[in-house]
Amino acid sequence: MTGAESYRRRIEASLADGNRFLALYAASDGSLVRTLLAAPDGSIQRVTVQSEDGRIPSIVDLAGAAGWDEREAHDLHGVRFAGHAPLRPLVDHDADLGRWTVPIAGPDAYQVAVGPIHAGVIESGHFRFHVVGDRILHLDARLFYKHRGLEQAAEGSSLEDGIAFVSRACAACAVANGVAYAQACEDALGLRPTAELARARTILLELERTWNHLNDIAAICAGVGFAAGNASFAALTERARRLNALLTGHRFLFGSVSVGHSALTLDAEAVRAAREILAELRTDSARSWRELLFNASFQNRLPDIGIVSAEDARRLGTVGPAARAAGLSEDARVHSPQLAYEGFTPIVPRRASGDVQARVEQRALELLQTFDILERLLAAPVSAATADPGIAEEAIGIGRTESPRGATTCVVERTGDRIDRLHLRTGSYANWPSVAHAAVNNLLPDFPLINKSFELCYACADR
Amino acid sequence: MLTLLRDLRRLRMTIALPRPERGRSLAIRHVDAGSCNGCEHELTLLSSPHYDLQRFGLGVVASPRHADLLLVTGAVTSRMREPLMIAYNALPEPRRVAALGNCALGCGILGTAQNVLGPVEDFLPVDIRIPGCPPTPEEIAEAMLALLDGCTDR
Repeated sequence: MTGAESYRRRIEASLADGNRFLALYAASDGSLVRTLLAAPDGSIQRVTVQSEDGRIPSIVDLAGAAGWDEREAHDLHGVRFAGHAPLRPLVDHDADLGRWTVPIAGPDAYQVAVGPIHAGVIESGHFRFHVVGDRILHLDARLFYKHRGLEQAAEGSSLEDGIAFVSRACAACAVANGVAYAQACEDALGLRPTAELARARTILLELERTWNHLNDIAAICAGVGFAAGNASFAALTERARRLNALLTGHRFLFGSVSVGHSALTLDAEAVRAAREILAELRTDSARSWRELLFNASFQNRLPDIGIVSAEDARRLGTVGPAARAAGLSEDARVHSPQLAYEGFTPIVPRRASGDVQARVEQRALELLQTFDILERLLAAPVSAATADPGIAEEAIGIGRTESPRGATTCVVERTGDRIDRLHLRTGSYANWPSVAHAAVNNLLPDFPLINKSFELCYACADR
Repeated sequence: MLTLLRDLRRLRMTIALPRPERGRSLAIRHVDAGSCNGCEHELTLLSSPHYDLQRFGLGVVASPRHADLLLVTGAVTSRMREPLMIAYNALPEPRRVAALGNCALGCGILGTAQNVLGPVEDFLPVDIRIPGCPPTPEEIAEAMLALLDGCTDR
């Protein structure tokens, strides 16, 4: 436990040592705040600070990525962050428009309000664009329309039952969130996954990435109204989801991750079928991708739109394909000893310009890696597996995975088998501020394209 | 490009849905009232080549004012209740409401009582129920086509 004065010094020193901000969350009653930082070797540092009269010094000037975390801790747990000014409401929807939007004034500046209900089949969320003509000056994203209070609802349930809350937070990242949670529980319980458990979970994570990346490329095609490309990749997405159902009985792999064990069994015939279907998907997605490359009207829409530079990505705490597309060679899979990612190196596109084109290309590059990983892991039948006791028990456990959107962190605080506090910070949560940043200086009609190039989940962020 | 389109035509033949008939349609407005995004992902694939629901006259429209059916996903959260009611009130008569997925039907609710208010039928008259977590595109398609058949008979 750190006092208020030494808290900022410790965070500052940790960041100066090359550690990166990972997450910040408050205890349910707002009495303390914990900040997590990741070292370059993947180890995680935890700094806890006690609030004094409900106040804690802000670190948002040191780590810009903590902005949303502090606003959430304020809105949900009443923590006041000294120095975070103005502390705009994030989860709290009762505040007036003037309090949660950035004031933009000047000749011809006006606002365009979009959502929470969107024109297509899209999750609910509100965007307020400040524009002059078609040019976006600033974007205030107001999410949390789908806030279900999942973290709070999980409190008091058993560690085993708790997985329902993180898995149902988001269908698109159900496995990534579930594995992060299972790892957090096992970290607290002193359990280490066996090699077989690690392999089963890695297969599930990469199956999830397969359909998501195919879906994301389809979504980008939809973002520019390119129907043939959209249809082609949507069909590939459907085939990937059918493969999920074939292997696990569920198209979104629901129910396939558990704390302390894995029930996934794939006999020789099942892994052979999976390898065959994946090989077909690989060939067909490569062919569809080539078609996209030769479609000039599609390609011309992509470069120099929605740029997040490497420097911005570092400052905003951008993660996942969006960060790698900006040239940041960061991937939680590199530091995942509990998973089967031996020899994994993150990939960045040749033109790591951080624009829409780079983010689209990033998906295609990562798909190839994912197909390679799955081919290797599905070489032998998969049997049910458990985690073994081996490390010391703790009251707090932390798990990390690389979801299709980026690094996801899950923290579980427990007393015995009961959850005291659950916190889930997903790749989508980390990246929403980057979407708002990328929109600035672009044209309003390009926003759907910019948004789709990140393809973030609202459900994951809102919880 | 021609290769792409040829492949897409072939995909449609792998699905055993009834042949489209002419002369009927249903315009759908989707509202996510607090889902996990699973129902949305399956809904999106309904317009993919495997299913291609547009050929049956089923299409998602941008505004509730153009819609015959309000298709609601998710348990209704405290923040989505009002937008949901506004969308429903904007639908012209005759209008129908479909609750899609277990959360919307009140069977899969996770969350605090303060933030999750309840199933769709607590707020709107639900005409069709499509269970599943999430329902598969086939299940959604079958329910929609059954509704369309019901509308024609009337």
